[in-house]
Amino acid sequence: MSDASYLFLDKLSLAYGKTIAVKDLDLNICKGELLALLGPSGCGKTTTMRAIAGLMTPSSGRIILDGADITRVPANRRNIGLVFQSYALFPHLTVFENVAFGLKLHGLRGEELTRRVEDGLETVGLAAFANRKTPELSGGQQQRVALARSMVMQPKVLMLDEPLSNLDARLRLEMRTELQRVQKESGVTMIFVTHDQVEALALADRIVVMRDGAIEQIGTPEEIYNSPVSSFVADFVGFENVFAISDGRLSTKDGADIALAGTLPKAKGLAWRPRAIELGTGPFTGVVRGVSFAGGTREYVLESRFGSIKAEADAKLPGYPLNSELAFDMPVAAAAPLQRFG
Amino acid sequence: MFQNRAEALALALPAAIFAALVFIVPVLLLLSEGFKVAEQWTLSAFVDFFSQPLNRTVFLRTLKLGAMVTLVAAVIGYATAYAIVSLPAGAKGRMIGLVVLPLMISPVARTYAWIVILGRTGIVNQALMAIGLTDEPIRILFTETAVFIGLLQLFLPLMVISLISALENLPRDAVPAARVLGANWFQVFWKVILPLTREGLVVGGTLVFTGSMTAYITPAILGGSKVLMLETLLYQQVTVANNFVSASVIAFILIIMSVAANILLKRIATARNRT
Amino acid sequence: MTQRLFAPLTLLLVMIFLIGPFFIIVAASFSAGETLAFPPEGFSLKWISKVFIVESFRQSFAVSMFLAIGGTLSALLLGIPASYAMSRYKLPLSETVRFMVSAPIIVPGIIVGLALLRYFVIPIGLSITLALFVAHTALVLPYAVRVVSASLANLRSDMEEAAVLLGSSRLGAFFRVVLPNIRGGILAAFILGFVTSFNQVPVSLFLSGPGVRTLPIDMLGYMEIVFDPSVAALSSLLAFLSIGIVFAAERFLGFSRYV
Repeated sequence: MSDASYLFLDKLSLAYGKTIAVKDLDLNICKGELLALLGPSGCGKTTTMRAIAGLMTPSSGRIILDGADITRVPANRRNIGLVFQSYALFPHLTVFENVAFGLKLHGLRGEELTRRVEDGLETVGLAAFANRKTPELSGGQQQRVALARSMVMQPKVLMLDEPLSNLDARLRLEMRTELQRVQKESGVTMIFVTHDQVEALALADRIVVMRDGAIEQIGTPEEIYNSPVSSFVADFVGFENVFAISDGRLSTKDGADIALAGTLPKAKGLAWRPRAIELGTGPFTGVVRGVSFAGGTREYVLESRFGSIKAEADAKLPGYPLNSELAFDMPVAAAAPLQRFG
Repeated sequence: MFQNRAEALALALPAAIFAALVFIVPVLLLLSEGFKVAEQWTLSAFVDFFSQPLNRTVFLRTLKLGAMVTLVAAVIGYATAYAIVSLPAGAKGRMIGLVVLPLMISPVARTYAWIVILGRTGIVNQALMAIGLTDEPIRILFTETAVFIGLLQLFLPLMVISLISALENLPRDAVPAARVLGANWFQVFWKVILPLTREGLVVGGTLVFTGSMTAYITPAILGGSKVLMLETLLYQQVTVANNFVSASVIAFILIIMSVAANILLKRIATARNRT
Repeated sequence: MTQRLFAPLTLLLVMIFLIGPFFIIVAASFSAGETLAFPPEGFSLKWISKVFIVESFRQSFAVSMFLAIGGTLSALLLGIPASYAMSRYKLPLSETVRFMVSAPIIVPGIIVGLALLRYFVIPIGLSITLALFVAHTALVLPYAVRVVSASLANLRSDMEEAAVLLGSSRLGAFFRVVLPNIRGGILAAFILGFVTSFNQVPVSLFLSGPGVRTLPIDMLGYMEIVFDPSVAALSSLLAFLSIGIVFAAERFLGFSRYV
């Protein structure tokens, strides 16, 4: 996509014994980019990350970093940083010693070492904790140590495995901002792996959605959020109502065909977010089987010819009681057309 | 984690080769001796072994003592473990320490103490004569009773420890709940405690049973040549009779009984758990 | 309530049964009489001091110390790499290795000793000392593997990967990251191995020979011939030694966490 390709995965295949985890993956990553690998567990995102780090040997394909083929370069000579989901701090060492670990291995000693470690701790706001043992720290602080430990090595690529999943909601927001700041300040190429679409959408410049060891869609957060290419991506990013199209009609899971008003786009399927469903008017009727109040909105589950439909309405509008019947519409113009279904 | 099979093998191989050379191969060769007479594979050594009344007695005695020690250890073990588990944390820790303590002491030293207690001029005989129950010292040492007492003392801690960890995993309110529902203590034990601690009982039982059956020091010191068990018989066959075929028959029986006890008790545990 | 009395009474009786004999041999070892008796006849330290004078006790004590320390160290040397490979390499193969190294715990010691004598020591022509050394190593190996494996299982493997990504070699990661974090387990394995080896009788029964016997075997032999309180004295000294070691281990590293 960009000619300034920095990290290039060329037909990369990865396998655990006979189980193929990733197949013929092609991916270009630009220098300074913040990329998210998004997908459910088992989609191959973590395996891909481990292969880039050198913790796993590809069964075929190449990994090119900064113009050099690193496919066979051992992990300890790649200078790629990884912040583990568990942080993987060394419990027998202090915060300072943890951050100094890699620098010492590269021969740094004395004042230079102290300065680099202190700078690193400064960046993540932990200068005051240098002499603590790591098990004494909170989860958020441990993650910052892990981040500093990788960042002081000035890695060519920094990878993070589910960086926000172990944090509570408040810390998550804080860490998100922090990661973005560190990335922008250092200009490091950052790849993070996540199963959480909210995390990926909020943090990344570009998102790679993976499924069953292959790339399903690559795009900016806006593209992924608004224009999923497939029913899988649509499902994953919160289009709750996803339907296949056959012969110009919508087909439901129960096998019923339903004609919609207007011309259907040339696509294999259509997907609506709950708020794209219009309640109160329209050609279809449904029975309210579930209502829940979600602050600004009310969320409904309707039973209809389409099967179960999820809809959303402004909470200021009068609500529809449970088991009441109401009319609704699924406007084609508000739906995202899907190029692939299933 | 290890991608490199050779690397992992290189690390594990020295230990595996060592175990194979000094343990697995020699033991298998030893066991095979029992099935060979004049280079022919046969079971005649086993038939011979069991045709001798002394051997049959020793075999049955070993089984009997193993079973009795296990049974008594289980009964005392439950009472002790339950009493310890109900103690407050600090006292509980100290009690567990006291139970474990004997395990760290040399079995020779522990068994030796029983000579002082059960001997002709030992405490028990002195006490019996003092209260006039007997005029002559009675023989306790070199009887099955002495061996039983020695084995029980040696292996009771293993049962208690197993049952303590089982009882500690008992759902907190199981016993009070059963009491509230009107169960008496016997019913509580039979319907609540026993089913929920069965695994601990099996672990403890296996340790005590195989331990008692394969103990050497206790029958050697407290039983002598009068109360032979399989291990002491094996020693005698080698050192006195120079009969290696008979020794390997005994070895085979001991191993089979240990393994059988293991499997049987595991079966009991899982079979009952399913219902 | 009978139940109030029942629990403490049970505990008291059980403790007397378990620990009482130990106090009796301690008391007997301070006896001034010539034969083993309780209550002891008078008070003297002569049997305690005799333990240190009898030449064969001194020799067999040295043999047992050598076997307990040397055997346990070599079991750890074999067992640590094997445990590490098994915990970080998940294949049926590792189960086979685990079975092989833990097998000596299942088979009665006397059989191990006899098998080793007939099919390893004699064919190879090992000296008695070496034979005992090999036997005690085999005896301790299962314990070493079990305790070290348990502490490795508590150690996440991504720590080593983190070390490697920071520039360390695999071997370096083992020494810099793994070893410092399983030090407690290794020490616990050493103590457990030491106590097991030192107190072991059946394995050494056939392997001991003229001039080279372990201390417990020597005590058994002595008991058959002489019926004086010196074995009681020796037993109490050994018991205090074991208790001291275990107590110190519990105090300084929480031994019971590992065993």
